[in-house]
Amino acid sequence: MPQFRAYALALASALVLLGTTTLAQTVEPGQPCMGCHKPRDTMIDPDRYARSVHASLDCTACHADGFGKFPHEAKRADAPDCMTCHAGVATPPYDFVHIEQGVQQSVHAKMAGGEFRCTNCHSPHYFVPATRMTDAPAAVRIANEPCLHCHAEGDTTGGGRPSVTKLAKQHQWLPHWELHLSGAPCIACHTAREQRAGATNAALEAQRTAHVVLPKEQALRDCAGCHSKNSVLMTKLYDYLAWQERAERGWLNAVLFNNAYLVGATRNWWLDWATMALTAMTVLGVAIHGAGRWLAARSRRKS
Amino acid sequence: MSRDFGTYPLWLRCWHWGNAALFLAQLVTGLSMHYAAPGQPQVSFRAALLVHNTVGILLTLLYAWYLFGNVRYGNGRFYRFAPGDLTRGLLLQARYYLLGIFLGEPHPFPHNADRKFNPMQKMSYLVVMFLLFPPLIVSGWALFFPARLPDYVFGVTGVAICALAHTYLGFFLSLFMVVHMYLGTTGDTVGELFRLMLVGEPRSHGATRPTPPTGPAPA
Repeated sequence: MPQFRAYALALASALVLLGTTTLAQTVEPGQPCMGCHKPRDTMIDPDRYARSVHASLDCTACHADGFGKFPHEAKRADAPDCMTCHAGVATPPYDFVHIEQGVQQSVHAKMAGGEFRCTNCHSPHYFVPATRMTDAPAAVRIANEPCLHCHAEGDTTGGGRPSVTKLAKQHQWLPHWELHLSGAPCIACHTAREQRAGATNAALEAQRTAHVVLPKEQALRDCAGCHSKNSVLMTKLYDYLAWQERAERGWLNAVLFNNAYLVGATRNWWLDWATMALTAMTVLGVAIHGAGRWLAARSRRKS
Repeated sequence: MSRDFGTYPLWLRCWHWGNAALFLAQLVTGLSMHYAAPGQPQVSFRAALLVHNTVGILLTLLYAWYLFGNVRYGNGRFYRFAPGDLTRGLLLQARYYLLGIFLGEPHPFPHNADRKFNPMQKMSYLVVMFLLFPPLIVSGWALFFPARLPDYVFGVTGVAICALAHTYLGFFLSLFMVVHMYLGTTGDTVGELFRLMLVGEPRSHGATRPTPPTGPAPA
């Protein structure tokens, strides 16, 4: 019995110590929420959160009412919608007016009605805007995560899940379909392509079309949509970087060239012009040589 | 006399025209993909890719046939440089194309059963068939397996290196084809060398050629 008491005392001491430590974390200045939520991998990944566009905000900026003490009175779903802050904001390079219009036209919004929210696709804790993406594969991975999360029941196309097998089957008409699935952003083919008549700002209009997710029957099936000079990839994901690098290096779609290669899309103005000039000079050269031979032969015949 | 022109046996002529037709198909489909654009009046990207891949395999088989034929039937001996070919020979041939051909001078290196190519032909065919064509084929095959190529080589993706090499090797070979077709008109008549490559013998059997073919026998 004394032995049992000793064990009970040790256990009680451990619990008190643990509680004290937790309390200390809870009251850590500046990061009270992360004291509880950080250690649990089902909650917030602090590294990814630190890299996100919202990293500078306090948790209570969004989780304002009912989250002040534990247990929380509010539920996670009670957090405000993104548009509470972003509605009507048209600050370059983002225009949430256009983006919201696009979302409302998407198949997701039509199917879910008012229940569809930005956070269904964009994690407010991890969202990284395209302007911060410097690496095409990373940008594709981040962009595809929300799509795969629902359509492949995971964040990647690996793992051999039944949903992945179904996804693969639907994309097997593509040459190198595995590469397309892992290396291309889903929205390149699965969002609207046409700009609205009268739209004057192509960049803003691209933000709208990138959010108009189409029914699968209307997905892009023309390879030249991506594999061309004006690749839709440039307007769907890399518009900011693409335009910047186009001007600087002479490479069309340079952001792709740095990290990938797309036949038809990855081209260089100088090389293209050089090949055309060399071809023209060669054809002209043999034409002049041939004409010279003909004139010389005629001259010899006359003499 | 036709045996003097046995330097163009059937296997070689079949290879030559097959190679020409397939290369032309690769040129058209390759350009279609490089300059692809939605709605432009050219071969669709998907069709171009399918043809390009299929023809690429056939071209590889033809190249293997060409290598085999050169070894098996002795055609390879015509590519060997004779003494002086790389110095005086090249200069004489260049002078002929730049001047002599306009003056009606005889060919400096007449064609016969032992000498099928002039020094410039030997040089250009060796470069084309053994320096440019193999990497074109290898880079094309590498692009069949893009996932297996190295992610980065000297900071550039392996796919990009292969694709750029493939594109511009193909371009230089296309330029060769333009010049090659033109020089094919430099026989005694404009069509003589084309006929020779088609039927394997000159028009008049037994006739002695005062001025043997000057243009590039295409192999």
